[in-house]
Amino acid sequence: MLKSLLTGAALGLSALTMALPAHAEYPERSIQAVIPWGAGGATDNVMRSLTPYVEKELGGKFILNNRPGGTAVIGSTFVKTQRPDGYTVLLGAENPQLYKVLKLADFDYADFYPVSIIGQNVVVIAANADAPFNNMAELMAAAKANPDTLRMGSTGAGGLPSTVSAMINAVDELKVREVTFGGDGPGITALMGNHIDFMPLSLAAARELVRSGKLKALAVFATEETPELPGVEPITKSLPAIAEYLPWGPFWGAFVRKDTPDDVKQKLVDAYAKAVANPEFQGFLKNFGAQSLNLNGAEAEEFLKRWQSVTTWSMYKAKAIEISPDSVGIAKP
Amino acid sequence: MNKTDKMLVGERTFCALLLVFSLAIFYLAYQISGFSSANSPGAFPIGVALVMILSAVKIAFELIGKARPDCSGWIDAARQFRLQHFPRRTLIFGLLAVLYLAAIQWASFYISTFFFLVLAIVYLRGGRVLNAAGVAVLLLTVIYLMFTLAFSVYLP
Amino acid sequence: MSDNFSYLLMAWSDPQLLMLTALGTFAGIYIGAIPGLSVTMAVSILVSFTFAWDVNDALALIVGIFIGGVYGGSRSAILLNIPGGPSSVATSFDGYPLAQQGEAGRAIGLSTVMSVVGGLVGTIVLASAAPMIGDLALKFAPRDYFLVAAIGLLLVGSLAEGSLAKGIFAAALGAIIGLVGMDPVTAEGRFTLGQVELMGGIHYVVLMIGLFGVAEVFYQLHNLDAPVKRQVVDKIIPSFAMVLKFLPLSIRTSIIGVVVGVLPGVGGDIAALMAYDHAKRTVKNPSKPFGKGAYEGLVAPETANSAAVGGAYVPMLTLGMPGDAVTAVIIGALVIHGLNPGPMLMVENPHIFYFTVGNLLLANIFLLIFGLMGIKLFAKFVEMPKAVLIPLILVLCVVGTYSINSSMTEVYWMLGFGVLGYLLKIFGFQMGPIILGAILGPLMDTSYRQAMSSAGDHPGELLQGLVTSPLSLILTSAVVLILLGNTPLLKKLKSKFSPASARG
Repeated sequence: MLKSLLTGAALGLSALTMALPAHAEYPERSIQAVIPWGAGGATDNVMRSLTPYVEKELGGKFILNNRPGGTAVIGSTFVKTQRPDGYTVLLGAENPQLYKVLKLADFDYADFYPVSIIGQNVVVIAANADAPFNNMAELMAAAKANPDTLRMGSTGAGGLPSTVSAMINAVDELKVREVTFGGDGPGITALMGNHIDFMPLSLAAARELVRSGKLKALAVFATEETPELPGVEPITKSLPAIAEYLPWGPFWGAFVRKDTPDDVKQKLVDAYAKAVANPEFQGFLKNFGAQSLNLNGAEAEEFLKRWQSVTTWSMYKAKAIEISPDSVGIAKP
Repeated sequence: MNKTDKMLVGERTFCALLLVFSLAIFYLAYQISGFSSANSPGAFPIGVALVMILSAVKIAFELIGKARPDCSGWIDAARQFRLQHFPRRTLIFGLLAVLYLAAIQWASFYISTFFFLVLAIVYLRGGRVLNAAGVAVLLLTVIYLMFTLAFSVYLP
Repeated sequence: MSDNFSYLLMAWSDPQLLMLTALGTFAGIYIGAIPGLSVTMAVSILVSFTFAWDVNDALALIVGIFIGGVYGGSRSAILLNIPGGPSSVATSFDGYPLAQQGEAGRAIGLSTVMSVVGGLVGTIVLASAAPMIGDLALKFAPRDYFLVAAIGLLLVGSLAEGSLAKGIFAAALGAIIGLVGMDPVTAEGRFTLGQVELMGGIHYVVLMIGLFGVAEVFYQLHNLDAPVKRQVVDKIIPSFAMVLKFLPLSIRTSIIGVVVGVLPGVGGDIAALMAYDHAKRTVKNPSKPFGKGAYEGLVAPETANSAAVGGAYVPMLTLGMPGDAVTAVIIGALVIHGLNPGPMLMVENPHIFYFTVGNLLLANIFLLIFGLMGIKLFAKFVEMPKAVLIPLILVLCVVGTYSINSSMTEVYWMLGFGVLGYLLKIFGFQMGPIILGAILGPLMDTSYRQAMSSAGDHPGELLQGLVTSPLSLILTSAVVLILLGNTPLLKKLKSKFSPASARG
């Protein structure tokens, strides 16, 4: 009897100490980093590459945890409901900025504090290698000749392809069949098998396949050629009107709850800033086809606002969403 | 179908419940997007719900021709059902399990697991408290090593 | 050429790589054996952990965990009727009855050897025909995935013992549970009853642990006083004659495993279930009736899920496309190490391909060694007094479920599913079809929507596609044949023709 009482007491005490809030030097224990996307995806790869550098700068350990589901709603909501002590960090992509207009959730990144906007990716309009069109103009012409016949790969409401196609539709007409896949991967597989005709993809996902000739790049979603894909025209060549929305791309960032203590925020901001600037990580980003941004503080908030404004208003213009962005507090760009 | 099969106690009630459940699922599926299009979020769910309803009906049909169970009326059937499938031991263990799960958030995993194990083993075996405590500590140590240290699964 | 050959042997000759592969396989077996600890999770953690390592070292460890983990799930499936992972669900159908009859040791031994057979077949196929098969995988259109899922669901016919209607109901129930959550296209909630938490869906491992583990716990409470069945621990290693006897079946089911593994997005879990069904249909005189301890019922899923590992590597290495969840994480590992998975990988870095093949072969050898070690200990574990075993299993279920998403809510769901499973069992429902529905239901829904969207919502165009594409035609015919086979029609035809052939 005594034995079990003592064991119980010992275990109970140790459990209590783990639960006490951290008053001393941050970080005192492991930080839980939530990635609201599946393992092996682009966001996951970027975060897993970056985290060891952050750990070195911060002097603490990160435990990476994938919580996919609902276009990152699940993971983001989880971080939002944890204690604001800096021990839960959200490592996400651009999707939360669209939650309010897509009615996926009632929050967005304005409800978080941006520790770092790490980088952004360039979008490529990719097509099957044997497709009858070679650039954006030919694709648009084919779509207009046979509306609602061409098949575009998509990743669901709020995903990159649907946002890009909304922006294109805001300045011109691209009526196609949207076929939804669970992510870049399945969409690319279908594209290679010629089950869909084209798909807007992040450069990271498409680069190798374009390079090896399995996919054709019709255009890059930018105002100029990107060095990673020489010879591929910028989309502004065929669609000059879209320049008002550019530069645009999916981005990645690290966020914590808004009410996290300031000194904790500062430590995280410094660690991430140094980690992202690390030449090795910069090399990884370049290899991945991404652009480094390394923003924090006011610049980061400005970036987030602009991204949200440009994206939601163009989607509204293209009638991709029903509710007007200013009805949820998003100003025009 | 062997016509001399006997129905189990409570089987008719269960089949009725299945049917009601299938109808509820159909209603929920319909709520998703109605009969709007063959390519809507609700299309497949409605299809599945229909399959459920049809199979529930068939299950009910399979009861026809079976001999009635030996019980008289609702109360007796309920009593027999409880005796057969939820005897005292099962109920108490079930209660312990529910309390255990509730306690985990409140009193930390290790403490509640410890008490649950000791109580459950002692109850099921009738005695030998120290032995049960020993087993509990052993298991908790293994769990701690494997889950917390190796896999960073932080138990509450 | 000799260069490639040297890469093949790299894992075998370098002591560090040898040790890492061995360590990985050993750890993988025990990780896989614990329900709730998934191979995917272990590999993700390793990817971060091995960030600074040399890429070959990291890959060697990961390959070991993968191979060991897929096999490991069979341990708890056989001993406790709790599949250690989704790919071991089918193993429990005949594995657990064998353990209850006192043949746990034999069951584990057989499943080990068969896993190695499957793993070797998978690796050989990978080594010899990767690019070809990779291209074949690309030909699968959304409608073909729908057909594959349909074929899988028709397994219900052979999984349901007794009432077919009960099996169908169970599969439908599983499908509904699998559909809970956010719709992939419109992002609206389905069956979520307004709860935000349910938007993420109900993870099928939670369902699995509840239906198999917790339900079994309640069921075993009735057997508390039953005498403990002594486990037979001699002749654990199956005799060569036995392996030969099952060779035709094991080769067939390995092929099924590889093919299903190659398909991006479909993996060992579906492969094992389809292999089990194949065995049930084709083996006319099993050693014991299926579902009551047939050895064949153990051979089929274990070869298939291990062969699926080799299959999953095919699209990963040839196209940079993951064949299943674990290879998706491995792709991430390659990216982090500066390699670029994709079609150019085989051209620019061929050594990764040959290294992986050699590594897989090595891991399978270690699997044989480690898998056969300590079986006696495991078998004796089940001889523990039930009064201790039952609460222990419940705790294990709780921990396992919690470790998926650190969510106590899921643990509560697990308990709920346990009670549900217990009730269903009482009234003659099987758990297998429920899991089948939960895994295949969402796949069917997604593929159906994709196929319809591709056809512009024109059902006519979709149906046309089903018969014009050769691949779709084959799959559609398979579906039709299986459907007919389940009905009395085929049996009538058979009885009509056999007296004629007997005469002639």
